[in-house]
Amino acid sequence: MISETVKEEKKLKFGLFLGCNISFNRPDVEQAMRKIFPALGVEIDDLVGQSCCPTWGTMPSIDIVGWCAVAARNLCLGEEKGIDLMTACNSCYGSLNEARHKMLKNPEIMSKVNEILAKIGKKYEGKAKCRHVAWVLYKDVGLEKIKESIKYSLDGITVAVQPGCHFLWPSEVYPDKEEDPFNPKVLRELCEALGADAPYYTRLIDCCGMGALRSTDPEKSFILVREKLECIKEEIDADLIVTTCSSCLIQLDDAQEKLRKEGKINFSIPVLHYVQLLAICMGFDPQQVAGICVTPRDEIIKRILEGGKR
Amino acid sequence: MESGVSSVINLTEVAKREKEEFGKKVSELIIEFGAENLLACMQCGACASVCPLARVGFEWYNKKLIKAILIGMKEELLDDPTPWACVACNRCTEICPRQVAPFEVMFAMRRLMVEEFAIPTLAIEGIRSLYEHGHAVYMTGREARKKVGLPEKPPTTDSDEKALQDLRTILRNTKLAELGLIPME
Ligand code: SF4
Ligand code: SF4
Repeated sequence: MISETVKEEKKLKFGLFLGCNISFNRPDVEQAMRKIFPALGVEIDDLVGQSCCPTWGTMPSIDIVGWCAVAARNLCLGEEKGIDLMTACNSCYGSLNEARHKMLKNPEIMSKVNEILAKIGKKYEGKAKCRHVAWVLYKDVGLEKIKESIKYSLDGITVAVQPGCHFLWPSEVYPDKEEDPFNPKVLRELCEALGADAPYYTRLIDCCGMGALRSTDPEKSFILVREKLECIKEEIDADLIVTTCSSCLIQLDDAQEKLRKEGKINFSIPVLHYVQLLAICMGFDPQQVAGICVTPRDEIIKRILEGGKR
Repeated sequence: MESGVSSVINLTEVAKREKEEFGKKVSELIIEFGAENLLACMQCGACASVCPLARVGFEWYNKKLIKAILIGMKEELLDDPTPWACVACNRCTEICPRQVAPFEVMFAMRRLMVEEFAIPTLAIEGIRSLYEHGHAVYMTGREARKKVGLPEKPPTTDSDEKALQDLRTILRNTKLAELGLIPME
């Protein structure tokens, strides 16, 4: 892992933690990451054998040690190679880091987890953690490098950012933290680096209503997504919604179409994960890096490719 | 929202009954299931002010659930879906001035409900899928992956039988096995 020229340039390498939704629902997000990171000098390891993080409705709802044990097996896959994980799914980011935080804080949990892991010949030391791809881009790759890497810019395009809950809270458990988690800046700056305007809007940090809320009560979930979309339309009339979470992506894209069909909203705003937007700006094939959606994206992609040549 | 008469629960009566009837207090169970700082709550309501569940009208959102637990309610809570709607966003944990971590209370309540088999079918499906495939969300159709030029199988337990068996071994050694919620041969 350590080369002779460590001092010269530290080679960035992460285990790509996919999670369920990106693997099966939105593999264009996976493809986007597989394109952008090597091009930005970040090496990707596949973490062969990774599983569900585990997501909130599974082991976290049953038992803390069981939750941590499943998370620890995933973290071990990185730890064994001396690398951290990185993910584009806020739920995975949340579940893995909450679990790690519990294990580090409570030696009893850690030792029970390792008793279980011993049965499959593994041990978790607490070293490997899970980074968020947006933070890797912001801190490790850096805004300057991102600016240099793009072929198309977003000049004249206004985006509404949606960082998503687990990008922000509880800040205590995460490896990277916003200066003010209730006034997040990172995603706005990442979008501005592509040339876009990314203004504040009142419901910027509001929940999209995905996940447990949506599976428990779709009607109540749609209240949240509708309020959010209307706020985006009214206050900043965004051309595009950009998120760092695969769950927010699915909800804002998918529920928007449902609201239109029910006659509850009469506008359409395309939604992209930030890694997809970056991949498009870097010149990768939109069919591969952003080919799956319910709310149409063709127009905005065309506008980016035609209007923003640098 | 539903129409008709809302059901009013007399908290004073419940509190009285709790004193008389219960052995182990609900609050003790909730603490045992992970909400270590439950008793620090001073009912300031900060957590409710940021909770998406409170905003869209779920009955037993964080602050109110904590109050109910502290006065010893249990049966009345078991049929309520609110804890299962919690998005684990942790806005409440971030803002609580007493480090109660209301999210932990919500999830401890889920764990208590699981013991009483008050668990939504969808959650059981997710757990079954986790055991069978290593993914809580799993799809057999692979058109999406093919369409974007990726191999049909992701490099997960989906394409690694040994890893899937390892995961199952782990799950068989957790509380999930004791509960018998899903078949685990
Ligand atoms: S914010 Fe904390 S102290 Fe205040 S009501 Fe909620 S849990 Fe209790
Ligand atoms: S974690 Fe749950 S209880 Fe806390 S604010 Fe979010 S939805 Fe509400």
